[in-house]
Amino acid sequence: MSTTTETEIPLRQRVAENPQPALIWAAVGAVLIGVELGAILQVVGAVAGVVVNLIPGDPGASAVQSLQAAFDAIPTLVSRDVIPNQGYWDGTGYENTFLGLSPAVAWAIRVVFVYAYAFAVLAWAWNGYKRFRRHYRRVDWTPRDDVVNRFRGHSWGKFGLIIVITFVVMAVFAPALGPTTMEQNILQPYDYEVSYWSEDTQSVETVLVGEANLGSGSQGAGDENVAPMTYDDFGRFHPFGTATNGKDLFTQVVFGARISLTIAVVAMGIAGLIGLGLAMITAYYKGLADLATVLVSDSIQALPVIMVLILMLVIFQNTWVRELYDGAVLIILIFSIVYWPFIWRSIRGPALQVSEQDWIDAAKSFGQTPTQVMRKHMAPYVFSYMLIYASLSLGGIIISVAGLSYLGLGITAPTPEWGRLIANGQQYVASPSWHISLVPGLLITLVVTGLNAFGDGIRDAIDPQADTGDEAAATGGGA
Amino acid sequence: MSTTSTEEERSTEARGDTILEVNDLKTYYEDGGFLGSNPVKAVDGVSFDIQRGETLGLVGESGCGKSTLGRTLMRLEEATAGEVKLNGTDITTLSGSDLKQFRKDVQMVFQDPDSSLNERMTVGEIVREPLDVHDWKTPSERRERVRELLETVGLQEQHYYRYPHQFSGGQRQRIGIARALALEPEFIILDEPVSALDVSVQAKILNLLEDLQNEFGLTYLFIAHDLAVVRHICDRVAVMYLGNMMEIGPADEMFDQPANPYTHALLSSIPEPDPTIERDRITLRGTPPSPRDPPAGCPFSTRCPVKIRPSAYRDMDTDLWERIEVFREVLRERSRADPSLSDRVRKLLGRESHRAGMDEIIPELFGELDVPSDVMSHIREAADYAENDDEDAARAYLREEFGSVCDHERPDQLSVGNRGRLSLCHRHEPEYEEPAAVFETLVQ
Repeated sequence: MSTTTETEIPLRQRVAENPQPALIWAAVGAVLIGVELGAILQVVGAVAGVVVNLIPGDPGASAVQSLQAAFDAIPTLVSRDVIPNQGYWDGTGYENTFLGLSPAVAWAIRVVFVYAYAFAVLAWAWNGYKRFRRHYRRVDWTPRDDVVNRFRGHSWGKFGLIIVITFVVMAVFAPALGPTTMEQNILQPYDYEVSYWSEDTQSVETVLVGEANLGSGSQGAGDENVAPMTYDDFGRFHPFGTATNGKDLFTQVVFGARISLTIAVVAMGIAGLIGLGLAMITAYYKGLADLATVLVSDSIQALPVIMVLILMLVIFQNTWVRELYDGAVLIILIFSIVYWPFIWRSIRGPALQVSEQDWIDAAKSFGQTPTQVMRKHMAPYVFSYMLIYASLSLGGIIISVAGLSYLGLGITAPTPEWGRLIANGQQYVASPSWHISLVPGLLITLVVTGLNAFGDGIRDAIDPQADTGDEAAATGGGA
Repeated sequence: MSTTSTEEERSTEARGDTILEVNDLKTYYEDGGFLGSNPVKAVDGVSFDIQRGETLGLVGESGCGKSTLGRTLMRLEEATAGEVKLNGTDITTLSGSDLKQFRKDVQMVFQDPDSSLNERMTVGEIVREPLDVHDWKTPSERRERVRELLETVGLQEQHYYRYPHQFSGGQRQRIGIARALALEPEFIILDEPVSALDVSVQAKILNLLEDLQNEFGLTYLFIAHDLAVVRHICDRVAVMYLGNMMEIGPADEMFDQPANPYTHALLSSIPEPDPTIERDRITLRGTPPSPRDPPAGCPFSTRCPVKIRPSAYRDMDTDLWERIEVFREVLRERSRADPSLSDRVRKLLGRESHRAGMDEIIPELFGELDVPSDVMSHIREAADYAENDDEDAARAYLREEFGSVCDHERPDQLSVGNRGRLSLCHRHEPEYEEPAAVFETLVQ
């Protein structure tokens, strides 16, 4: 703040007075978003489709479908069409692949491209925050700056953040990352054909994807195995090999990431909202409200989580709730109900502590309403604690969902799920087809570790004095 | 406050204009027990009034209920009984828009400037919040007002976008004062506003408060335990002990000639900077009684150095009388302490408990004194009750035998002098000697 009169100027005017940093940033952003505008609109269309699907009678379904078709037609930079990898060898060179490269190389380029794009967007967003801080923000310093700076110096937390980002990018860009598509390879294999170079006839032939899958399953024996980073007999590249039924494992893994992430984030979001809301109410009013919540949460916490999940899934086995999003909606609801007491318990202490501060009394003394007191004077102090416990519990939910699917409950086939992949490959662990169980297993471990590291990082950033030795209250166990 | 004449003028013109009137206010804290709990009587029947434009100091040791009184006046605690009239309206029953209006008229400055400011909000937001709550004019006028306020309390307007962390304790207290002033209140409760600050900063804040009072015609209730600060800033002083108002009156008069025995004791605890001055400090015996179980008579009766003796023992040796009082104190402490689990088991088994031991206490207290036989028999009788774990019976017995009007009757607030001073002590009744006179004899 150079001059005293600056305090009155609104943000728009501050930008107008020094437009260069904002303009550069906005231009870069326009390019980055512009090249993916089609994809963003496709997501909007998909969400609209889901919403319409949930409404009884499907009003306006045809309009949404035509909208989706229009959005699909918009070309995007990070897509299968720009860098195609599903080509074939025609005896002299590769057809229909990116620059005539082999499918493996084309796929690798696309993966690198996707991640480069994703990290470029994140870097752009971070740069925007820094530009705002340097050029436009009215305050020189906020308590949050210290938190951000501390996190930036926390290597373990940054490692966690990178893992989490990698996982999220995997889920978000799942359709572009797979060497083949969900529709072709997994859901409707008998509606699509692939061309391949037949060694026997020395010519390009076509085969139904379903039949090709039957011929390229990984079932443990040497000749019935498609290992990671190899081609199958039909010229298709499999980065993680194939599953037992010949479907591409990598495609299943990336789409499995999607559903795991959705369940974990949505369930944790709902549980977090309930927990935070109740924490505010119980800390503000104390007494009877607190006692009632203690009783309810104790009752819920007394139940073994996995047992409740299994019972509920069995009870709702043949109902419409079970059908929504392949069972994910039901799982989300159960997890929200089972997890909010953990969140509430974890943040009840900090919430009570904040509620004893004099500034709460000060706010009451000039007539601030209870909701505003909770929102402005209490929630900001508790929110970061909630974030820690949420990020640590996310891993637990991912493990639990995988565990359920492993048991044959949880997400219904054919929607891919990491736990079910592990279950499928379990009997081949000691055979050449070890990759079926091992790859998803390793990924679960890595993601949960990353989430825990991220949670540790946040905790150390918001509360540097906290005793980092005590992990008892903040472990991500669930299953 | 430079000359006494202006002071008197002020007090006489203010007399007719009462801003706050408190009648028999009680604030009890119920806790835990669902059935017939024994509440903490934090404020136990307090009456006083405050004139417009004056500063009333409220002093007392920690736990005497002065902060609870302030919070009850603020409606941060609910009053159990009694009334608080602000400009003639009883505020203990206000609700809805009346309560909101009251929240505008009365503000509070808190003790701890670290805890009273939300450190996630900028100074501007903090000072602006009361204005936002009461929808004061337009947003840009509010910002303008905040900047004015910051200047008024001695900060700069570019501090608007800083956070409390970036300020020193004294500056933060200035922010708290600016927030209290935002809604142009008539009456401000200052809850130990300088006790968390360095001495050099204290003086600056006190001067600021005085300047603001003159500028805006504010009325202060100044809660403090630092008597020197109170003497400096207050027109009148009220002294609290165990939820009761022991004495209230003009500050200068009270500091020069305390009327109430408790005020005597409190004032003698002010440290004297000059080490060569010889003073006789009155050291009080024991600790204040539990506010759950205050004495039946005068609240100060258990520790009062000038307690009235019953006529039968008026000529008794002072040392012996002292020992009897100590004995009663011991019994009171014992009845207050919960018996431990092993004590209860012993009692159930019919064994002697550790809590007995009267045969050690009696010789310890009375061994070296020449105790008249009738007095000794009363002591033995009480000791027998106590020996059988019935402290209450022992206490009742001793109260009956050695108790006086101080133990049996709660004194009224009696007028002392001619400047509206009130003191809660039986000794101001015509048949007894004044406390000050008795203190004289004690000191000699």
